[in-house]
Amino acid sequence: MIEFDQRISEQLSEVSLNSSIQVRVGTSNAFMVTASTILPLIEMFDMGGVYISASRGAVEIIEAFEGIGMPTDRIHFIDLVSSGLLGGTETQYNNITFIDSPIMLESILLRTMYHMRTTPYERNFVILDSVNALAIYNEDRMLAEYLHTFINTFRQREVLTVIINVPDQTPPGVLANLDLYCTDLVDRGQVVIN
Amino acid sequence: MLPSTSYTRDRCVTGVHGLDEILRGGIPYGSTVLVAGTCGSGKTTLGMEFLVRGSMTGEACAHFTATEPSVKLLENIRQYPFFDMQLVDTGLINVFDMDVLYSWLGLTKATFELEDVHALIKAITDIVNTIGVTRLVIDSVTTLCYKIKSEQLIRDFLFTLGKKLSTLGCTTILIAEITSATQNAHWSSFGVEEAICDGIVVMGDAERMGHLIRFLQVVKMRGSGHSRAKYALELTPLGVMLTPMLKWGSVGDKSAQWGL
Repeated sequence: MIEFDQRISEQLSEVSLNSSIQVRVGTSNAFMVTASTILPLIEMFDMGGVYISASRGAVEIIEAFEGIGMPTDRIHFIDLVSSGLLGGTETQYNNITFIDSPIMLESILLRTMYHMRTTPYERNFVILDSVNALAIYNEDRMLAEYLHTFINTFRQREVLTVIINVPDQTPPGVLANLDLYCTDLVDRGQVVIN
Repeated sequence: MLPSTSYTRDRCVTGVHGLDEILRGGIPYGSTVLVAGTCGSGKTTLGMEFLVRGSMTGEACAHFTATEPSVKLLENIRQYPFFDMQLVDTGLINVFDMDVLYSWLGLTKATFELEDVHALIKAITDIVNTIGVTRLVIDSVTTLCYKIKSEQLIRDFLFTLGKKLSTLGCTTILIAEITSATQNAHWSSFGVEEAICDGIVVMGDAERMGHLIRFLQVVKMRGSGHSRAKYALELTPLGVMLTPMLKWGSVGDKSAQWGL
């Protein structure tokens, strides 16, 4: 049985809709921290949202969430991974949109905006999982520019933005920019002992 | 204090997501706009959405198709939820096959002469006048102009057509096929369309690490200020959506590094 991090829900109760939250995770606690962030958004704040999955395929994430009893019907997934693996887009889930590659950053933004235009929920979030996965494919400067655009686009539209990153796997320049753009920080990054 | 002398022309609000912001409110009424783009860049969808948005506010619209039969065009476009076949059935969107129009006018020759061009202009403007069309799309003017051999005649055709449609209060999109939308490209196949039209919108694909990203850029719009930036374009079920293209998106690998 997974133990949700209650302090995250306490922290989330203090943020406004036009906030952008940087969630720092470690390689071992990424799933637990992500789930602990999403669950209160859905159950406590009655929100819907978009989950951009750049680190793993959406089907795998949905199944993992369902495995711990977390509802996924209020979330639309934008999968940046599975199209790269031929056959990875055949799925029973109809709440997944596939994008060809994590380098098509503008398409990710537009697809998210499209879902925000069609969402039935009054309050919405967008989760970007994760900056370090996007950094594998995109140049640092372009990624920093993208995050700046991404965060401001959704803040302006009163969509809560959650940016997940593993700090020791994120380029320092991008990380410094995230510190600047984000309004809040949930720090559950792994402590690295050299 | 001096009274404000600022004057702005009435706009044809395209209704296309983002485009009216780029055009500072829309296309000036009665303008002829060249939408020039490479194959698969979304020209036909943009043109059709322009008509759909107009017809949804009660405007009469017409689409002249020269590149594909109207049946095929409608079959392709009806896959988009933004398109409602009722708009065609109720006569708000009128789709005409250029081939049918040619045979109706008896234009069976391989190339058009002056009198043929005038007959074509008259037929198009008669339709616009009779139906009261306020939004018109010709897809594509390139295919149409292939039949007109002289550059001067193409110029006359487009200039006269644009002038007459403008007089009728019709805002027109002329779709043109080009082979390249990158630097130093011509915005038209014959080199004359771009000089005559009131506005030029360029559509194409930007390549990023082997992937093609659709883009749109407004190069010219008489009577209106507009953004000249490049916008990424996505064809969604709700229609075209636009967002500014990343400035570092087309920079070579080495120069895009931090600190260089």
